[in-house]
Amino acid sequence: MTRPGEAKLNHLFQPGKIGRFEVKNRIKYGACCVSNYNGRDGTITPRELARVRVIAGTGCGLITNQGAYPDPLGEGKSYFRQVAIHDDKFLPQFEMIARYIHDAGAMAMQQILHAGRYGGIDLGYCVQPSVVPQTLPHFRPPRELTKEQIKVVVKQHADAAARAIRAGFDGTEVTSFMGYLLANFNSRFTNQRTDEYGGSVENRGRFMRELIDAIKQATPDNPLSIRLNGAELMDRWGGNTQDESFELMQQAVDCGVDMISVTVGWQEAPESSFGRDVEPGYWNFLSEKAKKMFPNVLVAFGNRLPDPAMANACVKDGVFDYWEVCRPLLADPEMIHKAAEDRMEEVRPCIGSLNCLSRLFRDLPYTCTMNPMLGHEVEPEYHVTEATEKKRIMVIGAGPAGMEAAITARRRGHAVTVFDKADRIGGALGAYAANDLARPADLQSVIDYYGVMAKKLGVEVRLNTEANAKFMRSVLHEYDVCIVAAGARTDMAVFQYLEGADLLVDALEVAHGRFKPGKRVVMLGGGMIGLTISEFLAKAGHEVTVVEKEKRIGGDIMPTFKWRHTAWVDELGIQTVTLASLVKVTKEGATVKTPKGEQFIPCDSVIVSSPRKANHDLFHEFQWMVDELHGGGDATVPRGLDQAIQEGYRLGVRI
Amino acid sequence: MLGEMFGDMSLWQAMLDRQRELFVEMEAGSRLGFVSREASGILPGKRSEGVRVVNEVPMMAWEIENGGMAARMERFAGISSTRVDVLLVADQEAMDTMLAELGGDMLKTIKRLIRRGNIMFFLFKNKAQLQDAGYEDFLESLGLAFLGACR
Repeated sequence: MTRPGEAKLNHLFQPGKIGRFEVKNRIKYGACCVSNYNGRDGTITPRELARVRVIAGTGCGLITNQGAYPDPLGEGKSYFRQVAIHDDKFLPQFEMIARYIHDAGAMAMQQILHAGRYGGIDLGYCVQPSVVPQTLPHFRPPRELTKEQIKVVVKQHADAAARAIRAGFDGTEVTSFMGYLLANFNSRFTNQRTDEYGGSVENRGRFMRELIDAIKQATPDNPLSIRLNGAELMDRWGGNTQDESFELMQQAVDCGVDMISVTVGWQEAPESSFGRDVEPGYWNFLSEKAKKMFPNVLVAFGNRLPDPAMANACVKDGVFDYWEVCRPLLADPEMIHKAAEDRMEEVRPCIGSLNCLSRLFRDLPYTCTMNPMLGHEVEPEYHVTEATEKKRIMVIGAGPAGMEAAITARRRGHAVTVFDKADRIGGALGAYAANDLARPADLQSVIDYYGVMAKKLGVEVRLNTEANAKFMRSVLHEYDVCIVAAGARTDMAVFQYLEGADLLVDALEVAHGRFKPGKRVVMLGGGMIGLTISEFLAKAGHEVTVVEKEKRIGGDIMPTFKWRHTAWVDELGIQTVTLASLVKVTKEGATVKTPKGEQFIPCDSVIVSSPRKANHDLFHEFQWMVDELHGGGDATVPRGLDQAIQEGYRLGVRI
Repeated sequence: MLGEMFGDMSLWQAMLDRQRELFVEMEAGSRLGFVSREASGILPGKRSEGVRVVNEVPMMAWEIENGGMAARMERFAGISSTRVDVLLVADQEAMDTMLAELGGDMLKTIKRLIRRGNIMFFLFKNKAQLQDAGYEDFLESLGLAFLGACR
């Protein structure tokens, strides 16, 4: 029976065919992220298998298992705990993964990932077509592959593909995304060779053609997908132009690949490809071009395209054949099912924070800001199970930590009431979302999601209600559990003896729009909050100086987004004074102390965003008033959105 | 002349002296090189000369000496033969901009030019080595994605 969402998104949910394989819909789970959940030797762990079961159940018609490196030395290994496929000893786990995917009614594809320039993570070097030094310090110094070594690498890929098919996969994929070995040969940036593998586009594409030929010979009955850049975003540094990228695609098509997965960018590219500052759908033109150029080859695409409705329109309009999606399914593995049931408002949104990738660069397993379960699938303690004893829970604070705890506890059968002194849910997140330069809709979508889920699940929300000792006395014994998730506050008390302290303004007042600062602003604190508000004010025409006590600004910002803030600071002309503390404030301006001496900064308003202080007062107030008292999010330690959601969830599944 | 390409060295030295706090944690002997993209042969699609067989061309070297960063002109002998930890490669627009703004806040200028893609850079030490050598403050001040980037 066709479900209501399937009827609405009928192009996306129509069946397809890849080679000899029927596919139930036009959705490809993209191997966008290596999980880093596995053994250092490439063995697949129970944690990974539990995660793959979830991936298998996402509802995608085609599922690409994460990239496995094909060589025994690990020259192709780019991530600390990446899976390997260079030996038959790995077969049993791959067989299980293929079975999970087939059991869920999907086609199974195994990606082979030789990282080239970004590989050799356990070695003292990486291999490339030529010795082109690194631009990112995370990666290893390069060695040039000899022609003999190239032949070996090609054979390793073919062997790996054959092994995957033996394990039960239906097809394989090789990837150049995002600057891996295949891309290194294809690109002018990294391919400086003077032999038949370098020079012209024809020569640079030789490695790719040999790779395709070898895999096709090893697995003649199984489809092969190839991930190729539509745009490297490296052209200013000598990389391929878009025309060259499409010329290389043509070569792949001529060699008989069954699917081209169009990608954007390299890891070291100087501009954004799928961060939160990129408008959804921005890169669709690349896929559309590929589809027009290669009408007889399947085209998959999904860079910065998180919305099934947009994807449906793209399939309808011939922009691509398969929507390649991954990160939105990290945030909500049920998204496809919710889309099929026309319940998109219940989708836990991917906000493009790229927390997943930030962690990989620290050799940590990936996690998701929005999905606290991600990576913990194997742990029963993280699963939402019916509570043994149903309790009456009060949650103080309707920010992300409180709302996450509330809906999780409610799903387990507890009766939950959320109290907040504001007239809407969201806490400080709503205020900061309104000031976000990247895409306010992303952060607002988190709040909208909590609103929808609270209503759907029957969480009572009482707004305009401040929780204090008097209030607690009025509800004494009505609740078994109290969760304090009232957020953090700006610690204005540290300035109380400072001259002009009465002239200071709390950043939250500005973020909420309750205080309109003058033309010239000094912002105390150059962390996430201070910078977000400063950028917003600067864009609105204010002259902003950020005063930061540490050596650098943005110390609490996720590395995948920090560069964007520092660029905005420059672009918007925001002045920064570091290693500085406030000395006094007058109506004429602020005096700060730096290692070079005192400095007077003329300004009309001085806004305080730092230090922030946990809201511990309520813990002391409520300690003797309720059976169980818990704290979560910034109310315990001021941090960020991901920690708030993680802690809220952990409280919800534990109580 | 060796020095002409980068203008008056005393102005570069004065800038480095003004920014000395960025370099206080850097180990003695830490070195950066600055070359012109055109002169060095490190050009789009034709970089093999720069990587392998370059003619000797001017390189501005910054090196930690006596607790400060010293600027001087040297000869660039190709990527593989030049001992630097970081190599900055400036295109003609960047060279012109830097010469025009020499004497001003050059680190901001360089940061802007890196961001715009006019200056590319290569690293010859890994993250741990650069951290141990005290590079973090300086490289972050140039807006380089020191701890990795996936955008």
